[in-house]
Amino acid sequence: MKTVYKLIIALVILATTGLTVVACSSTKGTYSDVPATADAVAEEEFKMEKSGAQLWGETCNRCHIAPSPADYNDTDWETISLHMRVRANLTEKESMKIEEFLKSAN
Amino acid sequence: MKKLLVFTTLLVLGSSIYGQTYNTFEPSKTQFMLRGYGHTGFEYMDSGDETESTFLGSAFAPIFLYKHSDRLMFEAELEFVLESNELEIGLEYADVMYVLNKNMTVRAGKFLLPFGTFMERLHPAWINRLPNAPLGYGHDGIAPSSGIGVELRGAFDLGGPKLNYSVYSTNGPRIKDGSEEPEEAGILQFANYEDTNLAKAYGGRIGLLPFSDSSTEIGFSAYSTSGTGEEDSEFEDIGAFLYALDFSLVKQIPGLSGIVDVKAQYNSSNVDTATFIEMHEDGDEEEYSFDNQSNSFYAQLSYRPTMANSDFVKKLEFVGRYSDFNAPEGAEWEEKSTQYAFGLNYWLSWRSVVKLSYQTTETEGGHDGDGITNTDGLFLHWAIGF
Repeated sequence: MKTVYKLIIALVILATTGLTVVACSSTKGTYSDVPATADAVAEEEFKMEKSGAQLWGETCNRCHIAPSPADYNDTDWETISLHMRVRANLTEKESMKIEEFLKSAN
Repeated sequence: MKKLLVFTTLLVLGSSIYGQTYNTFEPSKTQFMLRGYGHTGFEYMDSGDETESTFLGSAFAPIFLYKHSDRLMFEAELEFVLESNELEIGLEYADVMYVLNKNMTVRAGKFLLPFGTFMERLHPAWINRLPNAPLGYGHDGIAPSSGIGVELRGAFDLGGPKLNYSVYSTNGPRIKDGSEEPEEAGILQFANYEDTNLAKAYGGRIGLLPFSDSSTEIGFSAYSTSGTGEEDSEFEDIGAFLYALDFSLVKQIPGLSGIVDVKAQYNSSNVDTATFIEMHEDGDEEEYSFDNQSNSFYAQLSYRPTMANSDFVKKLEFVGRYSDFNAPEGAEWEEKSTQYAFGLNYWLSWRSVVKLSYQTTETEGGHDGDGITNTDGLFLHWAIGF
C-alpha cells in the first residue's frame, strides 16, 4: 500500500502543479472581445493558430534536428508523421500541420 | 515468321498496357518504409592499470514501418551490434498501434517504455548528442527501457500549453536471485519475453509543456509491480517501485546566436528487501540482505550556434553532461559513480553527425572491486539516421 500512496501523492502534486501552470499561462480567449463578423472570426483564428512550418521548427527540435522536407516524398511523410505522432506523443493538430507543411515544401 | 511477328507485337503491346496500369503513381493505401540508424567509431580508454583502444564495428538498427491505414501501424526495430567478437542481434521493439481518437492511441507488443525520456526518445545514436548513454542506463542500469504489454497514450492541446500522457501494463521485471550471477543478486532485469508470475508491472508518464512554443517539457514517470520473483519462489512477493523526473528545454536564444538544449532526468528504484545467499570460497553459505534502493541522474547542456555567419560554425555543437549512479550499500554490486562528459559535434546534415568526446568517470565499488577507479575515455563516433 505504501507504493500506492506514493503514486497517488505524486500524481496529485503533479496534477495540481500542472493545472496551476496551465491556468496561469493560458490566456486564449479568456478576456478577448467576441468577434462580430466572420472576417473577424477568421482573423482571430489566424492570430491563434501556428503554421505547420512553425510547429515543424518547434516540435521536431525537441528531440532531434528538424528534418529537411526534401528528404522524403509525400507518401513517406505520411508514414513518418503517424510514427512520430505516437512516438513523440504529439497532438493530432501538431502532427497534421507538420505533415501538411512537409508535403508542401518537399 | 508471320506468327512470330504477331506474337511479338502482342507481347510488346500487352506488356505496355500492363505496365501502364501499374505506373499510375497513385500512392497505395498501405505503405511500407525502412528507416533506422547506424554508427561506427573509435574509442580509447585509460583506467590507470589498463589502457585499450579499439575501432568499433558498425552498429546497424533498421526500423520497419508498415502503415496499414491512417490509424493502424506496425513498427519494429532490430539492432545488430558487434560486441565481444560476436554479432549480437536484438529486437528493440515490435508493436502494433491503433489511433482510437484524436487524444488516444493504443499500442500492444514490445514497446519502448516512457520511463523518463532518454530511452524512449533520445537514445538513438543520431539523436544522442554524446557517443554513449549517461550512467544508470543500459546493462545493469536501473531505468527500464522496454517491456511487453499494452499501452494507452496520447496528448491534449490546452490552448497553448500541452499535456501528454501514457499508461501501460507489462510483464514486469525479474529480480536476479544470485543463483547464476551472485555478484548481481538483487538487480532487476527488465527484458522478459515471458512472465514467470501473475504480477504485472503498471506504469505511466505525464508530460506537461507549459509554454505555447513547446520549448519546455517537465515529466513524471512511475513504474510499479507487486512481484518480481518466479511464482512459488521466495522472491515472488518482492515488489518494486520506480519513478523518474525529466526536464527538457530547447530554445533559440538570439542573444547567444543559437539553440540551447537542456535535458535532465532523475531515476529512483526502490525494491523490497530480500535475502540472498553468498557463497564463500571454502563452500560455506551466508545469508545477507540490503536496502535495495538505487538512483541515477544526468543533466546535459548543448549549444548549436545556428545563427553564426560561418557555414562551418553553424554546423558545430558543444555538449557537456554530468551523470551519476548510486547502487545500494551492502549489495555485491554496490557502486557510486560520477561522470563528466564533454563533446564537440559536427553536423553533416540534420541526421548525420560526427562526435568527438572526452569523458572521465570515477567509480567507487562496482563489479570490479571495492576501490576507486578513474577511467578516462576519448571517443570519435559517426552516426547517421536514415
